[in-house]
Amino acid sequence: MKVGKWKLLLPLALLAVGATIGTSGALATPAQANEVRFAIMTDCKGAFAFGYEVDTAGTIAALSQYAGAKPKNKKKPSAGMTGGSAGGKRLNLVGIGCGDETPALALKETRRLMVQLRADIMLGPLSGDEAVSIAQWARQNPAKTVIIGTAGSQDPTMQIAPKNLFRYHGDGAQWNAGLGEIVYKRLGWRTAALIGDDYSFPWTSAAGIIADFCGIGGRITKRVWTPPAGGDYAPFIRQLPRPNQVDGYFWLVGGANTSAALTAFEQAYGPLNARQHSGNLFLYFLGANTTVAPRLVGAYMGGFGTFQTGGLKNAQARNYVRNASRWFTGQNVNDGFFYNYWNAAWAMVQGLNKSKGAVGPALQRALPRSLKPGFQVANKGVLRLDSRRQAIQDQYPLQITRASGEGTVSTSIVGYVPNVDQTFGGYFGPNKPAPGRNYPPCVKRKLPWQGKIKVVKNGVITNQVIK
Amino acid sequence: MTEAAPAVEHAEPTLRLRGVGRRFGGLLAVDEVDLDVVHGERRAILGPNGAGKTTLFNVICGDLSASTGTVEIFGEDVTKKPARYRAKMGLARTYQQSRLFDGLTVEDSIYLAIVGVEGGRLRPVLVPGKEREIRERAREAAGRVAISHKLGEMVGSLSHGEHRQVAIAMALAAEPKALMLDEPASGLSRGERQLLTELLLGLDRDITLILIEHDMDIALRVAESVTMMHDGRVIVEGTPDEIRANETVHDLYLGRGYGHE
Amino acid sequence: MTVDRTKLATERVIGVAALVVAVLAPTLFSAFWLNSILTQALILGIGAASLIFLSAYGGMISLAQTGLMGIAGYALANMVTQRVPGGETKGLLLGWDPTVGLVAAILLTVGIGLVFGAVASRSYGIYFLMLTLTYTVIAFLFVGSVTLIGGFSPVAGVDTYTPGFIGDIVTDRERLYYITLITAVFVYLLVRYLVRTPFGVSLQGIRDEPVRMASLGYNVALHRTIAFGIGAFIAALAGVLSAWWFGQLSPTTMGLDATIQMLVIAVIGGLRRIEGAWLGAIAFLMINNEITNRIPSSGLPVIGGTFNTVIGFIFLAIVIVSPDGLMGLWDRMWDALRRRGGPPHAEPEGGEPAAVASS
Repeated sequence: MKVGKWKLLLPLALLAVGATIGTSGALATPAQANEVRFAIMTDCKGAFAFGYEVDTAGTIAALSQYAGAKPKNKKKPSAGMTGGSAGGKRLNLVGIGCGDETPALALKETRRLMVQLRADIMLGPLSGDEAVSIAQWARQNPAKTVIIGTAGSQDPTMQIAPKNLFRYHGDGAQWNAGLGEIVYKRLGWRTAALIGDDYSFPWTSAAGIIADFCGIGGRITKRVWTPPAGGDYAPFIRQLPRPNQVDGYFWLVGGANTSAALTAFEQAYGPLNARQHSGNLFLYFLGANTTVAPRLVGAYMGGFGTFQTGGLKNAQARNYVRNASRWFTGQNVNDGFFYNYWNAAWAMVQGLNKSKGAVGPALQRALPRSLKPGFQVANKGVLRLDSRRQAIQDQYPLQITRASGEGTVSTSIVGYVPNVDQTFGGYFGPNKPAPGRNYPPCVKRKLPWQGKIKVVKNGVITNQVIK
Repeated sequence: MTEAAPAVEHAEPTLRLRGVGRRFGGLLAVDEVDLDVVHGERRAILGPNGAGKTTLFNVICGDLSASTGTVEIFGEDVTKKPARYRAKMGLARTYQQSRLFDGLTVEDSIYLAIVGVEGGRLRPVLVPGKEREIRERAREAAGRVAISHKLGEMVGSLSHGEHRQVAIAMALAAEPKALMLDEPASGLSRGERQLLTELLLGLDRDITLILIEHDMDIALRVAESVTMMHDGRVIVEGTPDEIRANETVHDLYLGRGYGHE
Repeated sequence: MTVDRTKLATERVIGVAALVVAVLAPTLFSAFWLNSILTQALILGIGAASLIFLSAYGGMISLAQTGLMGIAGYALANMVTQRVPGGETKGLLLGWDPTVGLVAAILLTVGIGLVFGAVASRSYGIYFLMLTLTYTVIAFLFVGSVTLIGGFSPVAGVDTYTPGFIGDIVTDRERLYYITLITAVFVYLLVRYLVRTPFGVSLQGIRDEPVRMASLGYNVALHRTIAFGIGAFIAALAGVLSAWWFGQLSPTTMGLDATIQMLVIAVIGGLRRIEGAWLGAIAFLMINNEITNRIPSSGLPVIGGTFNTVIGFIFLAIVIVSPDGLMGLWDRMWDALRRRGGPPHAEPEGGEPAAVASS
């Protein structure tokens, strides 16, 4: 025999073992009546891989605060949690989904968590396209409940809006409310170009910026979209008008690619001038960048409706920060990723308490239509959901500031836009297209908060409006 | 020795080459070759290794295009026609390195040779009557080269001699008007050579036969006329007897090459 | 030849048993297993079958199959989804009749496959591989860049608009499973039948010796083009089923990862026998599912790494031990038996269907 016996037998044996292990999972295990099965959906790969620990931390911290759970490891949130109950039932975290910001993987992970691991509630996802995908899935699975984690695309709660989908934070447009007006008034921008990743979250972010900037009289002269996979930005930068042809640029390029895109801009047009650049929360990702980031100190940007330094100085905010900081070490509870998952988990606990642990439609009826999250000020600090279960939240335009670390940057809060609703006072709507490459058009229009954005100084909301 | 009589009276040309050349980069493998082979003729092409015999074959059958000159077969100028066109006109050949279908059975290989000229090559359905007829012909061709006992075997598993048999069976099965064999005897045993010689001698006189062969014994027994090539050129043409007597041939080839292998 | 007979008989028994299990699967397995493992394995198997059909019988290892699957899915999604409130948000939303859309999507894919095939038909080996990879990359970039038909965001709702004879596959996943099973059996029988026809035998001849085939009278390029078209047809079936199964389309379904995954499935199963397609798919998905669920909840950032590492090792082990994958392993086992028991003569690898046909 030319072929050694082992060469045949070993793989066959391995195969047999593998098949046994594999099929063992095929048999259904009985569900336990006294538990609520839920899952976290976030990313652990791709541009938002960092979200895995932060999102899990936000969730578990809230469950520790409000449902008696305990983190397994204070330094590593993804180690999971012990204990915890709501509505008289034990909370069982069946799994943490690991996406990579692509819709395909998000859907696959959702099915794994919700069908194979039989979760009834999902907290997540993290990213915009994932949420579009999962909203479609939720529409077809009305018995399951989804509370979006931090995803900011408009479609899930606007055009799709299934009854079992909740979002206790703003979308990308809401998160940029006021920004256009600020650069128009404070920096004198009249024309601007925008460049962003080519998918739903940057489109939605751009929609908010365009609504604001064009609403007050600005003009967007060019929209450039880059493949989200990243890569070489030079050809896209070349499509932008030159710095002497526009007053400014809005940046919506995300994750690890933010600095790559800005660097490509510098290579093409010279050093960045902070007065000429603005962008959505993606500029957060410059935090540790020490080359291009310092040149953007002073630039205005959108955000999550949260902040890093110089946060709000009021009792509700301080209370949140104190509570949220108790459970993990090394987590920034001001971070929108943490904050939004915290609120989602908190809402879940409230809903379960009200539904006495029931899931499905009973839970969907019981989930709170209002919440008192840390950074809400308007309505006496109460955040409300609209009829499509989407938050109407306060928004805080930010300015990039120097951080304590050598050459690093942070953000501080400069404005206060109260009660930003998802439709921007009817500018967007369920029967209008979702934001896209060329939608919405740039038109002058009166927004509810136009001319009413309050100045925030050192974390205190003043009565002064931004001029 | 059975000297085949030149039986064919009407000199209808099966093959007519005029000024055929083939260049590979700087190398002129075939140079200004004129060649006429008439219907039913048995022609051997001889010459030392590198003389350009196989290249000439490739140009004739269309695997290679001619760099210069014209190729006519059965009275038609086919210089610009692809190999498959010439095959369908009735030109069949074998290859020096057998170029067989290792992953197919003997029967399927011969079947392909028939389908190639019969038509229905692209037919994605089985027509039972047609299949039966072609398979019957394939088995018959296998019988002619005494390979019937291996019909169901994969060609890749056969011996070298059996490969030669399959190659010839494939060439015959297509019922060609002209048959070109490239060193059919190379690598064959004594007995196998004997069988091959008999097979060639027994070929239908309607089939024109062109043969490259190093085994002078076989070549000169089978052929009625001989073309000697050297360095891409035809240097002598004549009957086997004339060739045997030719000094140049002796110097060039017989002296060294006779009975080698 | 008794060993061969026994092998054939054994394979038939296993085949029938597998079919019986497949038919009874909804009663044997959990809903998740039926939907996420078995249905998906059948679909990926059909996709891999299009690859193995081309490689086993045409000698063409094509990386275009995932691209063609994606083209079929995107075509279908754009044609059948409708513009309704609370409905889909991406794609052309043409709202065609689903049956028309289904036929049109498959025809379009086959058409594109024929064009792709014609361009690649004169390339062999690594050049063919690279050219077909290019096709998939083109398809990926096209749907990603043209937001009108999709963009990088998902085009959803394709599973809602199915033809009447397909029925409701959103809630009735067993139905989708059976539709997929029937399609898989159809594809298997189709390939087994095709390779015995004049076209199929010729294709195998071209696989072994294209030059020889030309001098036998065959138009090799045309043959390979048509074979590629048939591969595109099978890929289109897989693409449509995949679109129905996923319910949504996004470019990553035809990205580089998905393309490599399809190749890995085909190689694990074995590039020489069509059965390997489904064997490879089920093995791949089981490994995938096990590893994803077994990661210790603490070991995350490596999760991708873990899966890719394990699948990589398994892939490596299979390729080293048996270059022809699991089916090759199976064939070798019988070869070993034959050498021990039968007369000492070399046997060819793999029970080619052609051999079955002529025996």
